Amino acid sequence: MVEAEGVSYTYEGNERKALDKVSLKLGRGRKIAFMGGNGSGKSTFFLCMNGILKPQEGKVLIGGSPVEYTRKGLLEVRQKVGIVFQEPDDQLFSASVFQEISFGILNLGVDEERARNEVEQVIRKLGITPFRDRPAHALSGGQKKLVAIADILVMHPEVLILDEPAASLDPKHRNLVRSIVEGLSEKGMTILMATHDVDYAYAWADEIVLLHEGKVLRQGTPLQVCADERAMEQANLEPPAVMRLYRRLVQRGILSPEEGPPKTIEDLERRI
Amino acid sequence: MIVIDRLCYQSKLRYINASAKFVYAVLTLILCIASRSAAAAAVVFFVNIYLTVAKGGIPFARYVKFLLVPAVFLAASTAAIVVNLSRTPLDAFAIPLGEWYLTGSVSSVLEGLRLCGKALAAVTCLYFLSLSTVMTEILGVLKKLRVPGLVIELMMLIYRFIFLMMETASAITTSQNSRLGNRDYRTRLRSFGGMASALLVRSLKRSGTLYDAMEARCYDGELKVLSEDRPAGKKELLCIAGYELLLLGMAIWSWMR
Repeated sequence: MVEAEGVSYTYEGNERKALDKVSLKLGRGRKIAFMGGNGSGKSTFFLCMNGILKPQEGKVLIGGSPVEYTRKGLLEVRQKVGIVFQEPDDQLFSASVFQEISFGILNLGVDEERARNEVEQVIRKLGITPFRDRPAHALSGGQKKLVAIADILVMHPEVLILDEPAASLDPKHRNLVRSIVEGLSEKGMTILMATHDVDYAYAWADEIVLLHEGKVLRQGTPLQVCADERAMEQANLEPPAVMRLYRRLVQRGILSPEEGPPKTIEDLERRI
Repeated sequence: MIVIDRLCYQSKLRYINASAKFVYAVLTLILCIASRSAAAAAVVFFVNIYLTVAKGGIPFARYVKFLLVPAVFLAASTAAIVVNLSRTPLDAFAIPLGEWYLTGSVSSVLEGLRLCGKALAAVTCLYFLSLSTVMTEILGVLKKLRVPGLVIELMMLIYRFIFLMMETASAITTSQNSRLGNRDYRTRLRSFGGMASALLVRSLKRSGTLYDAMEARCYDGELKVLSEDRPAGKKELLCIAGYELLLLGMAIWSWMR
């Protein structure tokens, strides 16, 4: 669905490449976690996938066809690939929730009547109704995040990119956002998510991409990536807690290593 | 300003059709200023207070405080009309100052009072609008009135970003205070300068990200948004029409006299 072929990008005035010959193939309907420290190139990669940044080298393919950097081509890509930015305050430009959400769908050129229906639908679906009449500056961080997600979902993208969606959310809203994402993924949406939460990525993702200084360090199933101690160490990540506990239990001879590491704490518990 | 904004969102008149409120406020304002009758000004003044405080649920004490702000300016400028410096004393009052008098005539005192009342009544019209109609809905009305899109888009962005910038500024100030950044006059000056420059840098950065985020949603130069329409009630429209006609009548009568 989303492909990068040798994509490089350097920000103006910077010597270091933010992305250095990144080649990735991301399948349709998959849940893909992007991990790596700050400045590893996650956000730059996302902006390239949506045509906001044009790679200086290499090309980006969405749904098999290369992105055309013309007005029409970009419009097409941006409808297919939606980005929920990390900081909702950087994304919400209107003080009114309704106006804010209507922006994206109107840009797609649909008529007002349909746009209104779509906005109402997404407001209902994401549970925004209780605070829809409040101004953006009176919303809590979690509520702003939901509006930011609604902003994108109203456009019905095929690929949803979430840049650290759980950052600075309270546990209640974090779980809410995660369950929304889970629901979207069940409906077949391709999800790319940047996260620092190894435990979550390990349990949630179909695939993990480890980025480090603009390069792909490792791409594979959570199990493959998290078991690659060298790559994990280079990315300054610790293996997920379940995996560490499992290894200790195997070392002590409490568990047999035949079945391979479990995905979740519950899995592990069942085996003991 | 923030208080006005917050009160506005709590107003019980908030969900009434914005165009109706806008038309009411603007027409009343125009008629109130055009009319020469003090009675009309009094009617406008009290009706607006009634609507804003009793119907809208804005606390009365708060409202009086808001009114006092322009009242101070008004008192100062009315004094300039009423008080004269002259060698001959006038009929209303005269305070001797050596050979001169600080003095005023009865007609100028009356004129001053009428002007004062009219201006305060006009202010209550604007307060009615700003304490009952949310900024984003006023923008919707302006759009219907065919105000250029660029102006409306700018107003929309400014309204949103005033609050963001104030949040940032107050966070920076708090962190400066916690590091004794306001210990004396010198440090206070330096801290303020630092805050202002940090605010500028952050605003520039934020405008960059905002633009990216808008582009990501297919922005192509025009901020297209939908407003929520709340249908206007027949009864309200009739009330407004009747009231404005009454004011018009009073204004016409005041011109003919």
